[in-house]
Amino acid sequence: MADTVVLNKRKKWNDEAKWGLVFAMLPVVEFLLFTAGPFIFSILASFTNWNSMGDHDFVGLDNYKELFADPRFWKSLWNTFFYMIGIPIGMFWALFLALSFNRNMRGVKVFRVIYYIPVVSSIVAISILWRWLYNGDYGLLNQFLEWAFGIKGPNWMYNEATVKPGIMAMAVWKGVGFTALLYLGGLQNLPSSYYEAAYVDGASPFTIFRKITWPLMRPITFFIVITGIIGGAQMIVEPQIMTDNGGPNYSAATIVFYIWEKAFSSADAKGYACAASWILAIIIFVVTAIQFKFGPESDNYLE
Amino acid sequence: MKKIIALLACLLAGSFLFAEEVTLMNYAQPQEKEIIDKVITRFEQTHPGITVKMITVTQDQYTAKFQAAMSANTMPDVFYVGPESVRKYADYGKLLKLTDYVKTAKGVDFNDLYEKAVDTYRYDGTTIGKGDIYALPKDFGPFAFAYNKTLFQKYGIPLPDKDVPYTWDEFTKVCQQLTRDTNGDGKDDTYGTGLNIHWSFIQFVWGNGTDFLDPTHTKVTITDPKFVETLQYFADMTLKLHMTPSNEQAQSMDTYQRWLKGDLGFFPAGPWDLAAFKNLPFDFDLIPWPVHYKGTKTATFRGGVGYGVSSSTKHPKEAAELALYLSADKEANTMFCDLDLQIPNLKSLAPRYLAKGRPANREEYLQIIQDYGRSWPFDYTYDRVWYDEFWIGVQDVLDGKVSAKEYCEKMEPRMQKLLDRSNKKMESSLKKK
Repeated sequence: MADTVVLNKRKKWNDEAKWGLVFAMLPVVEFLLFTAGPFIFSILASFTNWNSMGDHDFVGLDNYKELFADPRFWKSLWNTFFYMIGIPIGMFWALFLALSFNRNMRGVKVFRVIYYIPVVSSIVAISILWRWLYNGDYGLLNQFLEWAFGIKGPNWMYNEATVKPGIMAMAVWKGVGFTALLYLGGLQNLPSSYYEAAYVDGASPFTIFRKITWPLMRPITFFIVITGIIGGAQMIVEPQIMTDNGGPNYSAATIVFYIWEKAFSSADAKGYACAASWILAIIIFVVTAIQFKFGPESDNYLE
Repeated sequence: MKKIIALLACLLAGSFLFAEEVTLMNYAQPQEKEIIDKVITRFEQTHPGITVKMITVTQDQYTAKFQAAMSANTMPDVFYVGPESVRKYADYGKLLKLTDYVKTAKGVDFNDLYEKAVDTYRYDGTTIGKGDIYALPKDFGPFAFAYNKTLFQKYGIPLPDKDVPYTWDEFTKVCQQLTRDTNGDGKDDTYGTGLNIHWSFIQFVWGNGTDFLDPTHTKVTITDPKFVETLQYFADMTLKLHMTPSNEQAQSMDTYQRWLKGDLGFFPAGPWDLAAFKNLPFDFDLIPWPVHYKGTKTATFRGGVGYGVSSSTKHPKEAAELALYLSADKEANTMFCDLDLQIPNLKSLAPRYLAKGRPANREEYLQIIQDYGRSWPFDYTYDRVWYDEFWIGVQDVLDGKVSAKEYCEKMEPRMQKLLDRSNKKMESSLKKK
């Protein structure tokens, strides 16, 4: 007879429990190998001169000291937080879109798809396309400006004043479909009784929006701001592809771009890059913790 | 029992197949790969018992994969080494010295390679350019200066001399003559030139008898008055001297497009450009880069990449000879020459290359390789972080917002600090070894 699992319910560690443990160990092992392990390695490496030549000598706080003294580090941090201005812009645009999508008109589903396509498109492909769009001589944007308004547009990606807004516009455009979808879900779950009551009381649409819709969307807004900041702090593909070497005067580089440069380019200072990564991690952690402290008390948007 | 014997026999046979394997890691276009395959076949024929395993990756993945292999101590036997990496890899002991191996290799002639070309990969522990050989040239990217012959003839301007470079004064005058409005609409239609500072500035620096670094390659010398005046001259080409399109027009690389249309008098041309230039609507030819004063030697960069051998290879002699074959194999170089994929590395193939015609003065490329081509300043240092710093704010000089003198005075201490830091880091790392 084949082996059977002995279900001895009196013993604590019966066969079922043993097998259960084996299966449960798999994700634990995966976590240790691919998350906890590299985490710890990276903390330790940030105190060494680890590079691709095989150095791993302890250098104490040198990496951190060098980091705080590097103007490029501060500039990239400033750029990263500047890009986050796109979060509220995207949010309001998405809410507006969601309100528009929340109708039973014909063709609204087509628009939902159209707005969602950039979200699922490859960020690399989109960045390359937008880089060409922004080209000073041949880009579609400047051609349009010349045709419609007769003005000669700037060389968007090579001009310090226009490179960040340009990249921000592209990032907002790419993400607005997803945010709109989140808001749409929220809107569709609202009980219409609130709106009926407000209508009966004679509230204007703007008051309805201000006093009913917007407050009820707060948990979603909160989620969007948190994930927006966490994601925005890690932006790299857009500046990497759309500008050369971090843009004119390093004005487009983000902190992750700086980390990537230091780790994988000529500087070849992976331990130093680990130190910069940990500073970024701490910043994101602190910002998120602050947000949770001041965020809405409950997830239930009906309260 | 029979199973065990059979298994052992298979393992033995298999080990024979895998014995004596030399790995080569590179990136190559399909036409290049075909030629390299033939070199490998020839190599395996003259080296019985050796098989070559070629690992081809894409160009943008190459550095990442190579660095990963280096960190994991699983380096390929033969791989690409850029001139800027020789010093670092050699000091860390990652590269095999090839000097003795190239003397005894059969089937290829080491002495047929351009000497100056090989010198790019020589290092004596302090300076690049002399000492032991750490890599052999794969190809070169000599950056020559080209001019639009048709435009000169159209405007009745005497053609430049193919051996004597213009002085800056002569060059300015000719460019000003070439910058004109041909259809009366108030906007210039043709220009003297339109140069990108990243690729076409250092030639003027060298042509003024100065450089980014001092001869010991440890001190940044950009506040040298000759350097400052070069940077100011370069900016003034657009700001004051009316030789180039304006900054709004030229902020991107699109002076290249103007050149392709035939609207520029001068533009740089590397051998890789020749394929794209085959169908240009005008005649062009190559000349030496301008120099400041008559009698100064012209200069430009030589570029290129080399084949290096890992110091931890199990087959040093075979790997070194493979590198030499890839560099100097006569049939492969002949094919490279005929397909115009690169300039042949062999002196004996020079006449064949020159006979290819347009541009008529192809010899300029050979002169760059053999004579006046130079290494980039950062080839002499451990990394190029100090050099990259120079470009961050340089657009302000080109826009006329800050003078060259102010900018160089501001940047020199920053660049010096970065250079010193990288040297210090290397010293302390090497001491610990």
